[in-house]
Amino acid sequence: MSTPHTPRIEELLPAYALGALDGDDLHELEAHWVSGCEECRRQLALWQGDLEALAAEVEPVQPSDITRARVLRLAGPGVVSPPQMSVHVRPTWLGIAAALLLLALALWGLLGQARMERQVRGLEAERERLSQQVNALDRQVGLARDEARRAQQALQVLAAPGVQSVVLAGLGPSPAAKGRTYVNPSTRDALFYAFDLPALPADKTYELWLIAAGKPVAAGTFDVDPRGTGTVRVERVTDASQIQAWAVTIEPRGGVPQPTGAMVLKG
Amino acid sequence: MRRVANRDGGALAGLFERHAPVTLGLLQRILGARGEAEEVLQEVFLQIWMQADRYDGARSTPRGWILMLARSRALDRLRRRESARRREEIVGEEGGEMVSPLGTERLESLEVKRQVSSALGALSPDQRHCIELAFFEGLTHTQIAERLAAPLGTVKSRILLGMNKLRQALSAHA
Repeated sequence: MSTPHTPRIEELLPAYALGALDGDDLHELEAHWVSGCEECRRQLALWQGDLEALAAEVEPVQPSDITRARVLRLAGPGVVSPPQMSVHVRPTWLGIAAALLLLALALWGLLGQARMERQVRGLEAERERLSQQVNALDRQVGLARDEARRAQQALQVLAAPGVQSVVLAGLGPSPAAKGRTYVNPSTRDALFYAFDLPALPADKTYELWLIAAGKPVAAGTFDVDPRGTGTVRVERVTDASQIQAWAVTIEPRGGVPQPTGAMVLKG
Repeated sequence: MRRVANRDGGALAGLFERHAPVTLGLLQRILGARGEAEEVLQEVFLQIWMQADRYDGARSTPRGWILMLARSRALDRLRRRESARRREEIVGEEGGEMVSPLGTERLESLEVKRQVSSALGALSPDQRHCIELAFFEGLTHTQIAERLAAPLGTVKSRILLGMNKLRQALSAHA
């Protein structure tokens, strides 16, 4: 089942064009693309154009003579041969025989080249097919590793001795919402889960804050799924004992360095 | 490109002379080793010779198409190399001059280069570094976060903002 084309999907496209998208983001975009999306295709082509410009920014390097010769051999005989000396000779029978012999050799060479090209084309297609299989498997392995890593990271926080948990209660526009943070005091990794939060307009996002020494510190942005659940993993938070509170606000998409919007969770 | 698709050897030779240097620069930037980069360059031009009919002029320039083919092949090779857990030690070969990341030397198309340089100047060093890691090393968000020991969300933001800035700056110069 494909999902609608939203600003959130458009946010994923630049990283997809770069090949940097992975994990849930990649799943999300792939779910959207099940039936193909013309708008995504159009925007991807634009991002691709930007990346092509980026690629052309590198310092050029002259290929070696060997590489040049190998590539130009594909182009066929005579393409890069040096100019021949122009010598006018009177045709002789010997010359004609030599010319016919050369012509026969050239024809034989062309036939051989055509045969070789067919073989190369077949091998190339096979290589391409295998390469796609390897890439697909690599991607599956990558996704499985991502999943396993996330589960492991969550377990490390949740099962850590002395894990500190804080419950966040819903405020203002979302009184029924709830949240909970878990902090592993030894690694200072934290997990945050939000429940029963409403979905936001496309230009807004939820942003998690921790308050330490009286000041809010941005801890990550998140969106919620259709059930109203969202999660954030925070690495190396400040010393857990210094965290005075956690809060969630509604902010412009992309997040902001200081809270500006309505607070919906606090604890 | 149409002439190459029609098996015009002269056209292939022309394409090679025009685009091979910057393509090799990109390959060497990604792969590091000069010898391997030259090998992939040959593969790229063999692919062009065999599949030039797949080029779509409405979607990219010939140079853009060639560079993206080259990047894709180089990253495939890089991943295979890494998945083989670096069985081969990659060493700089004699005579192989390393190219600087997104260098600022003279390029065939000086105007395009000037625009891109200017566009890259609009990015913060962090944004630029994240984009380079993704583009030239084929790293994903998660891998970049691990490499930089930075929060995943931060890496995502840097790439998104960086790409948007790049787009704006390139559009402004277009």
